[in-house]
Amino acid sequence: MEFDFGPVITYFPTLLQGLGVGFLVAVVVAFMSIVGGLVVAVISIYINKFLSWPLRFFIWLFMTTPLLLQLYFLYFGLGEWILIPAIMVGILGLGFHYMAYNADIFIATIKSVSGGQYEASRSLGFGHGATILYIIVPQAFIRSIPQLGNNMILMVKDTSVLSAIGVAELVYASQYAISVSFRPFEFFIVIAVLYYVINIFMELGQAWLERKTAYRR
Amino acid sequence: MSTEQETETPMVEIRNVYKRFGDLEVLKGIDLTVNRGKIISIIGPSGSGKSTLLRSVNHLEVIDKGTILLDGVQVNRPDMKGLAFERHINHIRQNMGMVFQHFNLFPHLSTIDNVTLAPRKLKGMDKKIARELGMELLNRVGLAEKADVFPNWLSGGQKQRVAIARALAMEPKVMLFDEATSALDPELVEEVNLVMRGLADEHMTMLIVTHEMGFARDVSDWAMFMDGGVVVEECTPEKLFSNPDQERTRNFLRKHLGDNH
Repeated sequence: MEFDFGPVITYFPTLLQGLGVGFLVAVVVAFMSIVGGLVVAVISIYINKFLSWPLRFFIWLFMTTPLLLQLYFLYFGLGEWILIPAIMVGILGLGFHYMAYNADIFIATIKSVSGGQYEASRSLGFGHGATILYIIVPQAFIRSIPQLGNNMILMVKDTSVLSAIGVAELVYASQYAISVSFRPFEFFIVIAVLYYVINIFMELGQAWLERKTAYRR
Repeated sequence: MSTEQETETPMVEIRNVYKRFGDLEVLKGIDLTVNRGKIISIIGPSGSGKSTLLRSVNHLEVIDKGTILLDGVQVNRPDMKGLAFERHINHIRQNMGMVFQHFNLFPHLSTIDNVTLAPRKLKGMDKKIARELGMELLNRVGLAEKADVFPNWLSGGQKQRVAIARALAMEPKVMLFDEATSALDPELVEEVNLVMRGLADEHMTMLIVTHEMGFARDVSDWAMFMDGGVVVEECTPEKLFSNPDQERTRNFLRKHLGDNH
């Protein structure tokens, strides 16, 4: 078999477009899942016992079912009643999925901040809420960085799953190019390399962040 | 402030305080008055209730019975609930500085931010003015050059000095020390004691729970020996440490001071 990367070059702008869509999805999902995960964790630990159970159920539900099924459920299932654009469904599905995983991390790291920190803050005159905001959450966040980084690397790879519901990210974009060029192997090699490079940069970024915050733990 | 005023005005009043943890009664009717500008040391074996008593003053422990007053204002308010009590206790605590055995500095903040966080957020102090105040306080504990360093890079003694500066930043009416030097290596104890002596010279009202008998004897105006949740004996430190009335006090001191006393 001979390799012919000509079609890959021809359709590279299409791949770049897919990369752009994937990037957009990843950025929004990262923001949504980290902020949302933190909010879910804080509510389920501190705010309200009655609200905490549905939230824990939500975490459990999203962690025990496959992402693809969740996307199908949101897109085709809910599609029976409301029509949501595929990219929105993709962002929501991926966002909730990783929100659950991130909340799980935050719950562990918030609980790992010692009671002495809470007492020291209260003894200065900070209230319960201010203590959570200024003392507990920032420390928990710093402790969460390694695991959050791992989750975000997984999430970036999982943006490829959105091709199943027709979000025009990298894999989906290549499928069109493959269907007209009949060169799947070359395209998949290039895509794999692209993901690999993105991952290397993310891992470098994560390591840098961990180094930058290590002394604050 | 005249010495006359100092001796006459009570700053902390502890009246008939009871506290139990489950079946264990740790405070059994404690009374103590700390006058303005005075330094009281509380000594006693572990489990005697001395730390619980100190933490009760700051309401970190909720007492079951009795009254605690700070500068005439009642700290514990069983009649108040929810947000109203939260507001009340936050206000009370802003007037008390607490220093913990394990320092409890905020590791995510630099030394100066540890000191200035409370005045900035609670008093709305301008960042620049807060930094000036923070530098002044760090200077007072001899750590001005460590202002932008993070707590993890400090020694235990330095951490505790920063913790004292942090507590002072809210200009408290009283300072509470909960075994402030117990977690320190012996060679680091003196630098913290030195800072506390400095506060004593400035007539800061202090309530000190300690295992440092020599320091307690030197620095305090009044000393109290607790055991089993009761005050066994209280008197001047000279008397308590050299010629106590109670056998229990003598036994405790013998164990802690060795044969040379």
